[in-house]
Amino acid sequence: MTSSTAALAQAVKEQEQGLMACVHCGFCLPACPTYRRLGDEADSPRGRLYLMQAVVEGRLTADSDAFQTHISRCLGCRACEPVCPSGVAYGHLLELARHSAAEARRPPLLARLLLTVFGRSWLTRLAMLAARLLRAVGLPALVARLGPPAAVPGPVRLGMAMLAASAPARPPAPSKAVKPPRPPAPDDPKPARPPRPHPSAPDLAPPPPTVGVLAGCVQAGLFSRVNHATVRVLEANGYRVLPMPGQGCCGALHAHAGDLGAARALARRNVVAIEAAGVDHLAMNASGCGAAVASYGSLLAGDPAFAVRAADVAARTMDVSQLLARQGGPAPGGPVPLAATCDAPCHLLHAQGVEGAAETLLAAVPELDLVPLDNAAECCGGAGIYGLSQRELGSRIASDKVHAVLATGADAVVTANPGCMMQIGAGLRLAGKPLPVFHPVELLDESYRRAAR
Amino acid sequence: MTPRLREPPARMAVPASLATVLADICGPEGVVLDEDRLLAYESDGLTAYRHRPGAVALPRTTEEVQGVVKAVADHGLPLVPRGAGTGLSGGALALNRAVVLGTARMNRILEIDPANRRAVLQPGVINADLSAAVASHGLRYTPDPSSQTACTIGGNVAENSGGPHCLKHGVTSRWITALKVVLPDGSTTLLGGRGRKPQGYDLTGLFVGSEGCFGIAVEIEVALLPVAEGVRTLLAVFDRIEDAGQAVSNVVGAGLLPAAMEIIDGPTIRAVEDSVYAAGYPVDAEAVLVVEFDGAEAGLDRQAERAVELCRRAGAREAKSARTEAARVALWKGRKKAFGAMGRIAPDLLVQDSTVPRTKLPEVLKGISETAERHDLVVANVFHAGDGNLHPNILFDRRDPDQLAKVEKASKEIMRLCIDAGGTITGEHGVGLDKKHHMPLVCGPGELEVMWGARRAFDPDGRMNPGKVLPDETAPEEATAARAEPPAASPDRGRSSGGSPSAVLELFPAQRVLEDDEARAWCGGFAARAVVFPESVDELRAAVREANQAGVSVAPAGCGGWLWAGGWGRQADVVVSTQRMNRVRLYDPAELTMTAEAGLGWDALAATAAANGQWLPVDAPGSREGTLGGLVAAGVSGPLRGHFGAVRDNVLGVVVVAGDGRLLRFGGRVVKNVAGYDLVRLLTGSRGSLGVVTDVSIRLFPRPEAVATLLFQDATVARVVEAARSVCTSSLPVAAVEVVQGDEGQLAAAVRIVGGREEVDDLHERVVDQVGAEPARALLDAQSDAFHEERTRWEDAAPLVVRMTVLPSLLARTVDSARRLAALLDDGELCADAAGGVVRVKGSPRSQKIDQLAGAVDQACAELHSWGGTLSISHAPPALGARLDSSKADQVPALLNRRLKALFDPNSAFSHRCP
Repeated sequence: MTSSTAALAQAVKEQEQGLMACVHCGFCLPACPTYRRLGDEADSPRGRLYLMQAVVEGRLTADSDAFQTHISRCLGCRACEPVCPSGVAYGHLLELARHSAAEARRPPLLARLLLTVFGRSWLTRLAMLAARLLRAVGLPALVARLGPPAAVPGPVRLGMAMLAASAPARPPAPSKAVKPPRPPAPDDPKPARPPRPHPSAPDLAPPPPTVGVLAGCVQAGLFSRVNHATVRVLEANGYRVLPMPGQGCCGALHAHAGDLGAARALARRNVVAIEAAGVDHLAMNASGCGAAVASYGSLLAGDPAFAVRAADVAARTMDVSQLLARQGGPAPGGPVPLAATCDAPCHLLHAQGVEGAAETLLAAVPELDLVPLDNAAECCGGAGIYGLSQRELGSRIASDKVHAVLATGADAVVTANPGCMMQIGAGLRLAGKPLPVFHPVELLDESYRRAAR
Repeated sequence: MTPRLREPPARMAVPASLATVLADICGPEGVVLDEDRLLAYESDGLTAYRHRPGAVALPRTTEEVQGVVKAVADHGLPLVPRGAGTGLSGGALALNRAVVLGTARMNRILEIDPANRRAVLQPGVINADLSAAVASHGLRYTPDPSSQTACTIGGNVAENSGGPHCLKHGVTSRWITALKVVLPDGSTTLLGGRGRKPQGYDLTGLFVGSEGCFGIAVEIEVALLPVAEGVRTLLAVFDRIEDAGQAVSNVVGAGLLPAAMEIIDGPTIRAVEDSVYAAGYPVDAEAVLVVEFDGAEAGLDRQAERAVELCRRAGAREAKSARTEAARVALWKGRKKAFGAMGRIAPDLLVQDSTVPRTKLPEVLKGISETAERHDLVVANVFHAGDGNLHPNILFDRRDPDQLAKVEKASKEIMRLCIDAGGTITGEHGVGLDKKHHMPLVCGPGELEVMWGARRAFDPDGRMNPGKVLPDETAPEEATAARAEPPAASPDRGRSSGGSPSAVLELFPAQRVLEDDEARAWCGGFAARAVVFPESVDELRAAVREANQAGVSVAPAGCGGWLWAGGWGRQADVVVSTQRMNRVRLYDPAELTMTAEAGLGWDALAATAAANGQWLPVDAPGSREGTLGGLVAAGVSGPLRGHFGAVRDNVLGVVVVAGDGRLLRFGGRVVKNVAGYDLVRLLTGSRGSLGVVTDVSIRLFPRPEAVATLLFQDATVARVVEAARSVCTSSLPVAAVEVVQGDEGQLAAAVRIVGGREEVDDLHERVVDQVGAEPARALLDAQSDAFHEERTRWEDAAPLVVRMTVLPSLLARTVDSARRLAALLDDGELCADAAGGVVRVKGSPRSQKIDQLAGAVDQACAELHSWGGTLSISHAPPALGARLDSSKADQVPALLNRRLKALFDPNSAFSHRCP
């Protein structure tokens, strides 16, 4: 046994309790987007767990094609977890398996490059600045519009389409608006005023609960408007938002790719920053990051200096929709006449068990019509860098999502994760139907803005 | 474009030539060849065994399946079909590096036909997906195995799966109406089909539950039911599991028929409550009983209240209905995911699947817990209590070899315990690899030999799923049994008999023998030289054995009413009547089953059941003058089949004397039984061509509190048919809808309603609303019963009866066709089963117009064929019968039928042919 496989066996063995809990019942099969498309049990959660078990038993090596292929082909959407009667912690085991796989065989260049960029905040900022510049020039939108015969390689086209899809979209004006709609000012630091004082925030109430907003890396770089909207919407609903200096990337990308060392380092930095801010709650508006921070406890469980602190931070972490759903839901705003369809991000629905998040927020928006989306609970194929690393399968999954979205006849898509926003937006663009994609908080913010006018 | 996702494998087990062919057929994405990747297929839902396949092929179409089957056969390798791999008996494991044919990519629903309440699908469609897909039509697929969110319909067909709701609605076999099958030689054949009268033996029934040994079902036609209008689910909590078992007996004994009754014991409750599927079961209880009623909304509350009361009387400390839909769903989730939740208690589990007569539940449960204690093992029980189908889960850790040995031992002891209580080793999980060595516990060598024969009839070379179901040591010698092909023209004793019957007649005292004219008179026109009346199985066997040796032809009979069936223009030397073998052997009303000798007459059967508030809901033509054995052998059903199941769905066990005198017992007296191939279904409807039925176990039903029949009459035929069809296609849970002769030469739609008093009253009103007219007559209770008793005699004494079978949606044009035929007859009359799609015409042929009539029948027959239906002759005067016989539709899978006949009757001692 080589040293890397020994390390792998050790890592997976730590989870033996979890692994042994898989009774091979097969209930996870239909929940798995890759199994549903490929029909191969090695591409099902049960099959992958079985391969992990085989590695632990020494019947399979971590650098084998089988292990490498099937572990990397998992989306990590964790749709298998809610349907597992035995409660197998699949997501956690997957991260360990990816860690072992990455140790046994160097991950592809693209993956390594991305992890390096997101592992250092200055590099992240630089990359995001470049991306914003590129987006501002309009090149990505142009590339995405070109037809398939265009001499642009597929991955580049997809990347450009994703970048183009990250651009702010404009919600339609209220019906028969007399004056032309004011273009949204995404970076307007001034919070919108709610139409009336929130019932739960009376004048003589105890001091409002404090909350920190994790800015994230891609979210901060390309979707800062969502972060600003989150702050405004929280304040409009009676929360006091405090700054959290020193925070950075949550480490989700690294953990999902098996680079647990880097993930832990990033987690420690955030734990320190969050503690220093002294907030009651940590609000998350990117569900991938939300799931990662919520599992800081288990990620740092082996670190005596951080185990308890990480678990405490994790316990205070909540999706912005959960915070706003307290006290009977968010305060109502002004009308945003829009037929929208909601896609549930996997890391919100499956990993954090938050159902109907976007629906909760949008219930406060008059004239917003929610059209049900077929298979809304299924992964869009974004899954971190999946769209780039497993391009063919990823694009099949994405195209099913795009077809489902178009079948609704909705005018816009709502989803609560930057990766999903870009993935679905890119898919729509490449299909020649560039519907706008919103974060639900954006629409709620816009609704408050209209109410205040 | 199929994206190439796979690299060519570095290591593989199958020859490169086969690998190439398989990849050509299924595409590169549709084959798994790499040794490492095949690891994922080592186990199915049963992890106690590991067998890595040689390769996996994932075809998408029938043609691809045929290609794979042929290619694998060409390479001399065995083939194992696999659905979702959720089976619990190891049935989908590939022994000896067999090639696995996975159906995961055959997941298309090919047709949904709401008008006829049927759907056609590929085998890889997931059970729950089917129900979801038909829900928008207000329909559902009823068998609901606990793995229904993952398991496939193809797998359900292979295993004859059950599920909680099979208590009222029956197991998979009842709901599978046709199969397109790829046989082990790569050819396809069609078995059964809605809207067609079955030809030959019930091969659909035999195929369901054959565990992948007979072939691969590539298209499956299922029957659907309307979504239940109302549902009540209640939970009763017990401190002793035996009390819960008693409550089940109480509920059934009181004449209630719940849709489901499930018991979950203490250890399971605690595992479930610990899981994501926490259902709110009290964790300090030793058992909870979930009881569900479904059907028409009216009356459900009263049924639920009565069940609550009966549970309390059995010692429940608490019993209450789920108040909200969410609470109801949670109760079921807890039950359905219990198996997976066991992973929280121990790393490995062995789930048993024995079925026992339900009154034996308390004592068997006690025995199981004693067995567990004796071996120092934990056993968690979660099971279908209403069916007596136990699932003791023996929990263990396979890393402890000591424990493994104990599990083996305890497992066998539990099976023994259940068999001693009158049960069987598997109710719904199948035999597979896990229980094949236990088959001799429930099957004698003779029965196992027949099962081998049935398997070889489909798969002469033993290529399909070898090493499963039947114990290897009982396998017949390859050279003899497997290869002995029945001659295409076996000695036919149906027309001319060689030997003299005297040797047979000598076995009987003179008063139990009829000869010559007396014999012919008894046989009602069927040509026989003698009739004998054995009084015991031994006498009957001696007679058949003697006849077989002497070359004398035998026709089995009850009262002789069905002798013409399967015997057109035929004759027999000796008719063997079971009329004097007419005792009820075993009847415990709380079991809702009766075991009786074949000669038990209808009246005696009905009276015995009625004395205990029960009945056999059969309204087959001719049934009232006949015997129980005759009913099973004829296998005919009437309009009630849609609501209560056909005769084939309610026969639990059959004992027959085969053509060479072997006594063979198949099935048992438990309501769920999948131990071995379903020869009960093969024998039901085999019309005396395979054996003489001597004993039958049959399922009875609680007699409904109220019945009513509403007759809607109209001068316009089309309007009558329309009224009948509109009730059929509504979601109203009526028992039967017929078109009958009304008054003044008009036709009438007859709607039959059965159930509790409130239910019948409520449905009465709603049927009137649905039809949009007042009934000409409303027959209540005794009047209604008398009306239908009379209707079962409709065919009796009619010289000519023609039966047309079509998809029910084609009723109107079929009725027109029937009317044209009836017009050619004296006293011509027609009737129809509007939900079943059967139209019958009776009357007397005018002798001077025989040719014209035969021509009209031929024409009607051609017409029906063009609509996908069939026409058959039930009764005809000899002159016409002989003519019409040749016009019968071709026999489907003739070779299969011939092989099966030879299995039971190697020398063709029985004069009757395959029906």
